[in-house]
Amino acid sequence: MANYQIPSWVIFSIFAVLASQYFSGSHSASILNSIAIAALLAGSLRFVMLIGELNFAIAAFVGIGAYSAGVATTMLDISFFLAILTSGVAASLISMVFGSITLRSGGPYFLLIGFAFTEAMRIVYSKTDVLGQTSGMVGIFPPIEFDDWLSLFVIIICLGLLFLMYVIEKSQFGTIFKSIRDNSDVTRTVGINVLYWKVVCFAIASFCAGIAGALQAFVNNVISPGDFGYLLAVFALAYVKVGGESSIAGSILGAIFLVVLSEFALALGAGEHIFYGAAIVIAVLFMREGIVGLVSSTISWITKTRASKEERV
Amino acid sequence: MELVFQLLITTLQISAVYILFSLGLTLIFGVMQIVNFAHGHYFAISALVVVYLMPWLVEAGFPASAAYILSGLIGIAAAVLVGLATYQFGFRHFQRDMVGSFILSVGFVLLFDGLFLESFGGASRSVPSIVEGTVSVFGAAITGQRLLLCFAAILTAFALYLVLMKSKLGSALRAVSIDQEAAMLQGVPYNKIAFSGFLLAAGLAGIAGALIAPVSIVTPAIGADYIVKGFIAVIIGGLGSIPGAVIGALFVAFVEAFGGYYYGASTATLAIFFLVIAFLLFKPKGLFGNG
Amino acid sequence: MNSEQTPLLSGRQLERRFGGLLAVSELDIDLYPGEILGLIGPNGAGKSTTFNLLSGFYPPTGGELYVMGERCTGKSPTKISRKGLVRTFQHGSLMPSMSVRDNILLGTMHQLSGRRRIERIARTEETAEMLGLSAFLEEVAGVLPHGLQRLVSIGIAFASRPKILCLDEPLTGLNHTEASSALHVFERIRGEFGCSILLVEHNMKAVMKICDRMVVLHHGKPIAAGRAEDIQSNEEVISIYLGRLDDE
Repeated sequence: MANYQIPSWVIFSIFAVLASQYFSGSHSASILNSIAIAALLAGSLRFVMLIGELNFAIAAFVGIGAYSAGVATTMLDISFFLAILTSGVAASLISMVFGSITLRSGGPYFLLIGFAFTEAMRIVYSKTDVLGQTSGMVGIFPPIEFDDWLSLFVIIICLGLLFLMYVIEKSQFGTIFKSIRDNSDVTRTVGINVLYWKVVCFAIASFCAGIAGALQAFVNNVISPGDFGYLLAVFALAYVKVGGESSIAGSILGAIFLVVLSEFALALGAGEHIFYGAAIVIAVLFMREGIVGLVSSTISWITKTRASKEERV
Repeated sequence: MELVFQLLITTLQISAVYILFSLGLTLIFGVMQIVNFAHGHYFAISALVVVYLMPWLVEAGFPASAAYILSGLIGIAAAVLVGLATYQFGFRHFQRDMVGSFILSVGFVLLFDGLFLESFGGASRSVPSIVEGTVSVFGAAITGQRLLLCFAAILTAFALYLVLMKSKLGSALRAVSIDQEAAMLQGVPYNKIAFSGFLLAAGLAGIAGALIAPVSIVTPAIGADYIVKGFIAVIIGGLGSIPGAVIGALFVAFVEAFGGYYYGASTATLAIFFLVIAFLLFKPKGLFGNG
Repeated sequence: MNSEQTPLLSGRQLERRFGGLLAVSELDIDLYPGEILGLIGPNGAGKSTTFNLLSGFYPPTGGELYVMGERCTGKSPTKISRKGLVRTFQHGSLMPSMSVRDNILLGTMHQLSGRRRIERIARTEETAEMLGLSAFLEEVAGVLPHGLQRLVSIGIAFASRPKILCLDEPLTGLNHTEASSALHVFERIRGEFGCSILLVEHNMKAVMKICDRMVVLHHGKPIAAGRAEDIQSNEEVISIYLGRLDDE
């Protein structure tokens, strides 16, 4: 029976919920929201890495989710919860179409066409009157009753989806995904339909990305095409890489670390681009296992030192 | 008919730059198995150098053509230097690691974006004309400037062809692209070849940048405009394939020229994108891909 | 083994061309129920290509392929494996980042997909036990020594209880003891589970010992086929190997 590390999740969730109540001033609340959404974004990107693909189309699906929420709320009068759900579903359905074509190619092709897809979607938003063209959409508000609770809600949804992705990863589905990453030929030869499972993985990740987009729309209340360009994918990548690719905790830690750090860095006037760029370059060159890697090597270094001290005594 | 010729000339002229661009991209992928997102910035730095240096030289008394050639060479050198830096401090450690090198290149893109913005500001610049007047080709009008650009690009592509087919370096590059292990068994010094290939690709981007400067509005973000199309061209042609890169670039230029005229630039871009997706259905690895 | 029976796997005039290069041609091959068939030949003879043709990883450029009596020419590896043919790969035939348990479990996924998890786990443990891997189930496959990795690859393939098991150089890198026990396992797979085995191997002693019949490839064409003793004294075969076949 897989070990789902429930205690860690529970402790972390309690922590997060407490934080949302403590930091309820509007600026801190918005940082918390950013962290939560960033973590979900990172988790989604990382989930597709389980099948060995780099999902550069993630920004497109975040955008689809955001615009779906916008349309649902401002034009179709769909209720808040339903709007968020449909955003996830819309992103997921489109991802199935996109993925079933492009995941056949995989690798660099999937990567590059994902990037092109992001740009194409941006053009679509910019040219569509109904979506506000380049000015985007405004007035995307959650119900008034929600105002005090929005931050808590966002955290709960993000944590919930992250936990879901974690559970799937640890399950036998995760085994199939990872086998596709490690050696898809062997996976094929034991009768598993590789493309089908790649699309399933991608659809799940895109569902989460769509929800992240919807949440972003409700948190910021305005969205525009520029929010969903490739830069968003780069942020997600930075969170995953800096935090550590090997576990979902890395995505969460990376998001926390970089969002908080960028608040300080931006306050000092440094460009956002340079900040994230430097973070990625440093993480890739010097911290291959990310924060999670650093933490675990420190822990094992400490335990080793302690063990050898005990031996000497 | 005149219109068709005009659009064909436009196609040729757009494709000239795309070809040089995508050749560099596919070369790097073929030789090192990496996808370099920062390729556009080698292109951009060269264009930026030309756009800032040439007017300054002209004011200093140089004739336009000499100023252009000089600033062009310096621009190309700048591109190669930046390429060298990214190779030495980065890509060299990520050969054959497609994901890692891509992520690294993304980091470089952001860094360069920020640095360029700080150094050059957000404004756009252009250069004074080198060649005045327009020429009539089959009844279609093309400015002398653009004709020059076309010729120079074609010349460069041809020179590259000669290098790849006839020179020792070229054969080594092609051998490594096809089968790295076999090439190494034959004594091809992989690291040297990878290094040369990388610099060659950066140089091509630099040439493309220098050529685009006189006919385009240059902003620090110019790399981004071309990188998407460049990658699409390489997807169509197949990553690692040189003839593929040329065909892909021609296709993208064709749709951009004709589609752009009848339906507008962004619609043309959308069309390119959806056509490529449909194309991938039939040819998941591009025309000649071995990615 | 009875050659009156219908072959489980049949290739008729199989051909594979790569541009101007004819890697395999005129290949007729049959694998009967309950037999162990060896595919041998010098390096470059086309053994890997043949394997890829039979398992669907290369579509043939000529000829026909029949698996379990059905025409499977040009079908994908996934489809062919669902008919009951599973293969291993010469290099890297496992998932290095996953545990041995998860590796073998993967082999059961499709075959036992409708069943309960417990059954898949039981099949995994049974397979591991047969291959002597029970002690290593929780180890990460990629760090195991080479011999054990070979066994894991066989385990993944066998976990799906195929009717036809195609092993691509399974004994490479194994020492004498490991190779002997592997051969023993092959016999058990054939005997207890009624699985037919197609084997590509360079280890001649092993091949002679275990194979009922053999097919010899040279320059992509079959030049001899028959029982081991006959092949061993076949002059043409001897000449292409430049020596007697009972030498290593």
